[in-house]
Amino acid sequence: MGEAPLSKIIVMTSGKGGVGKTTSSAAFATGLALRGFKTVVIDFDVGLRNLDLVMGCERRVVFDFINVINGEAKLNQALIKDKRIENLYILPTSQTRDKDALTREGVEKVLNELSKDFDYILCDSPAGIERGALMSLYFADHAIIVTNPEVSSVRDSDRILGVLNSRSRRAEQGLEPVTQQLLLTRYDPERVEKGEMLKVDDVLEILAIPLLGVIPESQAVLRASNVGMPVILDEVSNAGLAYSDAVGRFLGEDIEHRFVTPQKKGLFSRLLRRSA
Amino acid sequence: MSIFNFFRAAPRASAVQAKERLQIVMAHERAGRSGPDYLPMLQQELLAVIAKYVNIDENKVEVKLDRGGDCSTLEVNIELPAREQAKAAAAAKAAEKPAGNDDAAAKRPAGGAVGNAGAKKRI
Repeated sequence: MGEAPLSKIIVMTSGKGGVGKTTSSAAFATGLALRGFKTVVIDFDVGLRNLDLVMGCERRVVFDFINVINGEAKLNQALIKDKRIENLYILPTSQTRDKDALTREGVEKVLNELSKDFDYILCDSPAGIERGALMSLYFADHAIIVTNPEVSSVRDSDRILGVLNSRSRRAEQGLEPVTQQLLLTRYDPERVEKGEMLKVDDVLEILAIPLLGVIPESQAVLRASNVGMPVILDEVSNAGLAYSDAVGRFLGEDIEHRFVTPQKKGLFSRLLRRSA
Repeated sequence: MSIFNFFRAAPRASAVQAKERLQIVMAHERAGRSGPDYLPMLQQELLAVIAKYVNIDENKVEVKLDRGGDCSTLEVNIELPAREQAKAAAAAKAAEKPAGNDDAAAKRPAGGAVGNAGAKKRI
C-alpha cells in the first residue's frame, strides 16, 4: 500500500458508447483494490445498470445509488462488497429511475461520505454528455479517457475533454484542472501494421494528453463479462496484463507499454490459431 | 471448426454462464417493472415495528438479497445495542410464544443481540 493518493475521485469517461468504459472501470477498480487500496466503483448510468453484471454481483443488488441520494437507504446498505477481492466495493445504480434523480447535491453528499472511508472512488460514466455523464465527471480530480482507435471515438473523446475543462467543479471554481490520461482500448497491432487502424501515436497527437495504457483487442474481454469477472483477474490474457500495467502507471510506476506491436507467433500457436 | 477445438472444449462454456446469468437477472427485472420498488418501504415498515420495542441504530441494519432462479432470499440483520439486550430478550421471549422461532437471535454472541428476519420468496 502506498501513501494517501492525491487524486481520489476518478472518472472513467469517453463521450462515445461501447468503447469499454464499464469493462475498464471494473478492471481498474479491481486493480487498485488488488494493490491494497480501498476502492469503490460507482455506476452513474441510471436506468441502464450494467456494472453489476460486469462485476458479477447482479444477484446481490438490494439498494442503489439513487436510494441513497433519496434517503431511502443508508450508504453502507447499498454498497456491495466484492466476494473475491478484499477492499473492493460496488455502488450499483437504479435500473428503474431516470437520470433526473442524480442531483448535484445528492451526488456530492454520497461522494463526501465515501471519501472518508475509501482511498479511491471510481465513477463509471454513461455515454453521452447529458446529466449522468456530467454528474459523473463534475467532482472528479482525475479523468481516464477511454478511446478506441477509430474516428468517431477520437472525436467524442476530444469533446469530453472540452467538457472536463469547462464544466467540471474544478473548472467552475478555478481550481487546478482535472488531470487527464488516455486509455486506448480494442487496439489491434496487426491492423495498425497493415495501415487499417489509427496508431497509438496518431491518437496521442490528436488528443494531446498523456497515455495511461493501451489495451489490446482480446477475446478475454467477452469471456470475462460472460462470467461476471473483471478481465484484470484473467492473468494470462493480454488485456488483463495491459490493465494491470495501466493501474501501475496510474500509481506512478514506470512500466513499458506492451502489446502495441504484432506478436510473433510460433508454429504451434499458428496451428492453434489462438489470439489473446 | 478446427480439430484442435475438440481438445479445448471448456467444461462449462462462458457463453452458457452468460445466458443463465441474464435469464435470472432479467426475470427479476421484468417482474419488478410493473410495481413500485418495495424494498425501501419494506425496510422502513420493518424498522418501525422493531423500533416500537427496542432502540435501533439505522446504520446497523444490513439487508442482503440473493436472487436465484426459482427462489430468492432476503435477509435482514439488525444489530441491537448492548444496553437494550435485556429489553430485547424480553421482547424476543414475548414473540417466541406464538411463533416459537427465535433461534437466530439466541445464537448470536452477547454484547449486542441481533435480530434476524429471513424471508424466502418463491417465484
